[in-house]
Amino acid sequence: MSMLVMSPSGLGSVQVSGAPVPLLSRSWMVTKVTIKPRLGQWSKILVGGPDLLPDESNAFAVLYPVPEGGEADAFSVQDPNGQNSIDISQIYVYTTIPGDSVLADTFYYRTV
Amino acid sequence: MNRRELFGKLLGAGVVAASTASAVVQSSDGSYNGPPGGSRGSKLVAVMSGPFSTASDPLGLLNLTQIPQFVAYLRIQVHPGQNGKIVLASSAIYNHWNQFEDAAFAELWPNYDASTDNGRSDTWVMQDVNWQNTINLADIYVYPEIWGETPLVTAYQLV
Repeated sequence: MSMLVMSPSGLGSVQVSGAPVPLLSRSWMVTKVTIKPRLGQWSKILVGGPDLLPDESNAFAVLYPVPEGGEADAFSVQDPNGQNSIDISQIYVYTTIPGDSVLADTFYYRTV
Repeated sequence: MNRRELFGKLLGAGVVAASTASAVVQSSDGSYNGPPGGSRGSKLVAVMSGPFSTASDPLGLLNLTQIPQFVAYLRIQVHPGQNGKIVLASSAIYNHWNQFEDAAFAELWPNYDASTDNGRSDTWVMQDVNWQNTINLADIYVYPEIWGETPLVTAYQLV
């Protein structure tokens, strides 16, 4: 019997060295993605498409750090029809402090 | 509604919940608990609620259920008043023995003295948009930074 299951992609943290990077270098379709700052780090996080620039140009979200506790700032998008329609290779992130990282929470539907 | 009617209604709800819970157990075929992944019932039932302890594992790392169980809604919250971060991850966490945090898809901050965000605790929510039971509790691993701390977990299933 086949079953529809929504599973975590296992992406985890994404390291940013000095320029915006895609969440994944190869195309991967998901149904929900949430991006948050790494807790305890001091970078702002910029989220955008392939045209994202470090000066916040073309950013569709700027997330503040949460160095000392409380609820983390987040950017989240989910397909309203439950489809894998979001290509995470087209979502770029940038940390204002080189070497900081970003938490990417991605879930996708699969049939098992 | 007087007190007796209210009491009767609560009792009735309890009976419904009990019969539903029994249906959940009966529908298991041994490979998973409750209805299969992708199903969509008509009654919302909380299959998991309250503080979740990982203390039975020597590392303090545990998935929410040992046998797959599929839910439509899942909420994990840092237990207010506790002091440690909560790491949430997939089974990929076993590839990061030295640093579980690097495998996390979410880290939840404590808010032990309610001094930030108007006392709101960090919370992670996942929901199937079609209210199908597609989220596998056995796929979600929880690791409290401080051994023995207990995040609050709520999972709803449609049966």
